[in-house]
Amino acid sequence: MTDIKKPVYLEEKLEEVTQSGRLEYRSKSLPTWCPGCGYFSIVEGMTAALNRLQVQPKDTVVVTGIGCASRFPFFVNTYGFHTLHGRALPVATGIKVANEKLTVIAVGGDGDAFAIGGAHIPHAARRNVDMTYVLFVIVIYGLTKGQTSPTSVLGFKTGTSPYENQDAPLNPLMMLLSYGAGWVGQAYAGHPHHLADMIHQAIAHRGFSYLHVLSPCVTFDKTTKTYKNLGVMVRDLPEDHDDSDQMAAMGEAARTEAPAMGVFYQKDRPTLGDGLQEIVKRARGTRTAGKRRAARQAAE
Amino acid sequence: MSRKRKPVTDIQIAICGSAGDGTIAAGDILKRAMARAGYKVIAFDLYPAEIRGFGKCIARTRITANQVYSMKQKSDVLISLDDSHAIPHVDEVCDYGAIIYEDNPMSKVEEGGHISGHAAPAHIPYGIPFREMSERATGSARSRNMVAVGYIAGLYGMPQKIFHEIVTAKFKGKAAVVTTGNIAAFDAGYEAGAATIRLDFGVLESRSRRRGKADLVMMNGNAATVRGCLDAGIETFFGYPITPATSIMEILAAEMPKTGGRLVQTEDEISAVAAAIGAGYTGARSATATSGPGLALMTEMLGLGTIAEVPSVIFVSQRGGPSTGMPTKTEQSDLNLAVFGVAGDGQRIVLAPTNVEGCYKCAGKAFEMAEQYQTPVIVLLDLYLSNRYEAVAFPEKNPFVRKCSKGVSRRGTGSPYSRYAITDDWVSPRAVPGTEGCQHAITGLEHDVFGRPNDQAHVHEMMSRKRHEKLEAAINHPDITISKRFGDRGKVDVGLLGWGSTFGEILEAMFVAQKEGIKCAAMKVVMLSPFPKPAVVPYLDDCAEVLVPELNYEGQFADLVTSATGRPVNRLNRVPGTPMRVDEILAEIRRLADGAKQMAAE
Repeated sequence: MTDIKKPVYLEEKLEEVTQSGRLEYRSKSLPTWCPGCGYFSIVEGMTAALNRLQVQPKDTVVVTGIGCASRFPFFVNTYGFHTLHGRALPVATGIKVANEKLTVIAVGGDGDAFAIGGAHIPHAARRNVDMTYVLFVIVIYGLTKGQTSPTSVLGFKTGTSPYENQDAPLNPLMMLLSYGAGWVGQAYAGHPHHLADMIHQAIAHRGFSYLHVLSPCVTFDKTTKTYKNLGVMVRDLPEDHDDSDQMAAMGEAARTEAPAMGVFYQKDRPTLGDGLQEIVKRARGTRTAGKRRAARQAAE
Repeated sequence: MSRKRKPVTDIQIAICGSAGDGTIAAGDILKRAMARAGYKVIAFDLYPAEIRGFGKCIARTRITANQVYSMKQKSDVLISLDDSHAIPHVDEVCDYGAIIYEDNPMSKVEEGGHISGHAAPAHIPYGIPFREMSERATGSARSRNMVAVGYIAGLYGMPQKIFHEIVTAKFKGKAAVVTTGNIAAFDAGYEAGAATIRLDFGVLESRSRRRGKADLVMMNGNAATVRGCLDAGIETFFGYPITPATSIMEILAAEMPKTGGRLVQTEDEISAVAAAIGAGYTGARSATATSGPGLALMTEMLGLGTIAEVPSVIFVSQRGGPSTGMPTKTEQSDLNLAVFGVAGDGQRIVLAPTNVEGCYKCAGKAFEMAEQYQTPVIVLLDLYLSNRYEAVAFPEKNPFVRKCSKGVSRRGTGSPYSRYAITDDWVSPRAVPGTEGCQHAITGLEHDVFGRPNDQAHVHEMMSRKRHEKLEAAINHPDITISKRFGDRGKVDVGLLGWGSTFGEILEAMFVAQKEGIKCAAMKVVMLSPFPKPAVVPYLDDCAEVLVPELNYEGQFADLVTSATGRPVNRLNRVPGTPMRVDEILAEIRRLADGAKQMAAE
């Protein structure tokens, strides 16, 4: 799983990136993340995926809540909405409902998603809103300078847990699988090519897709989920993993000591947009039936 | 009133029963039939928070020849379908008014348990065997309510055929036997009523069926709000059920898809307003509806709408508070939350209609304003207005403008696109997602003209000014009444100032005061934010005393007036959970008028 096999020369790389066309998707604002942050991998992966999918920047909306992730929209050349803490999903839902043609991508961190925003995830998943939720899990609150998050491990020492964290961490993948999300996958910021491929698949999936991206917080977590530790922990999903088997996916997701990379589960089912279209059809059908009945009665 | 003048139709009928008796349904048929017969009708139902559980229901209907603005203090007729609930309301029947009740109860009645023992000497009792008549007509006691409606219709000689039409329409879609049964019960009651000699409790002049060009439609505030939404071209709605706003969502759920609209029931009020703002960002006309507790949850998101300059419309039907408060009781105590409820400087537009027709107008105009001024707009209703029925004439031509967004011209595009460009009217040209070459991000952070986060002093000062200044134009928004003066012109002794549903009671009190010879006027203020100072200040100048009656404990509107104009006002605050009493307003007007006269004499 080593990404770099031969030496890379800057000139060649620049030429390659310029030629690829994915700079179209980058804005001119410089990212504000700490050097070494896994977010750089996500921006790279996102621009590469959008470029490969040939989604027009004008037809793409990136929605974020609050946290390190939330500045994401400023660093891509798409439409973007930096909203409130925990509320990226409902805002994104409104955008998608109002304009089905848009490609809607929500980006967030685990505090934003599973602490304050926890109430919205099951509903976005069960409604199967056709959008992609890229979650960046650094197991700590970074923007407020290092406090425990819903995924922090037991015994983690932070500003708000000086005597060590006593709250058990959540397992977001198992949550999403049980909520009925139609696409659930995991990637690691230390494997940017695989990450780009996973973002590509997540966006391509028709329906709600959840991509769990593991990354270290290089500034505030020097002990638990560092590049060094994560690099050793991560594994590929077994080759024979059946991504239509929800229970098998749950089993893989339960193995938190060795996070697996890949698509845990995917299933096509009608989206929220399909449902709303069906409602319009029925409402109009009833009306025409009523008119027909009235016309028949008038004729009689 | 002089004796020679011909008496004018003004009858108020109260039907009182237990939840499940069909009380509200009976009132519904009565008010719809009388509206179709060409009368002016105002109706307001009172019902318990519980669906069953034998709570008290009262359906009051006021039927008049001329336009009136509120319910009467006293009813002319009280129909009791349940004596235990109706006995406390015997007092509300006027002298020489009628009390109609079951005179053949199924079981033995405890001492004092029958309403006939509570009637005053001036009341005219009509004991009717409702149950027996219903059983004879339909084979079941369930149609007692229809026998009662039939009886009152027969007593007054109301047009029987119109009642048949209304009953047929009401039960359309159900088994035919439901309609025929209800009509049979109605007719049985009608026959008995018509054969009874009626003593004096109001006259009912006959009306021509249609008056004027437009048809009068019997509608409550929530239904009128929906009609305003539909006429304004609402495209998306996101909501969460809450009394008394729920029926807005229910009617929209049935109506919106017929024109391709999309409605989603969200997981909470926060998501409802979040999705409405998300949809507003794409350029769609979007709304949500809630009550006070829901608005409390929405305030953070409304602040985002303000700073990111995204249009959305929020309907808020107030109920008794704070907290869960009194879900099925009316109050006007969410003004502060609607006008000021936000973190930081977050001015927004707040409209508060005063009657059912106003609900229609404000609802439609709210979409125009949200789009034109790029901001959230709150339309503040209350339970009394949401559930009050009035006969309304809607305009034949759709009065709302479909597209008010300040679009981006060719020259406006380019990189980077200035989403928040400073212009003469402080409103920036707005590109929505899908527009080529205008990609940008919007944010809840303070930002520069490009929408990029920026917290420098001059940027925050400029943007704060932009967000406030652009709203000032709203007080001159075309074709909507922002404020209006009624009553005597020029200088007056007492000037009433009111908002929301209470303005009906204010007007009624003013008319009586005028007849008593008090120089008196009344002004309604429909736009609460931004406050229409140019109209209100000259009015205050004309009034020796200003009286602000409202249904909250602190005088929230009085505070708003005083803080906006720097003028002191007299307050009349009541929190009964029911509409303001006209006689209490009147007493206050008299007291202030006396004081004003004495001052003038000194």
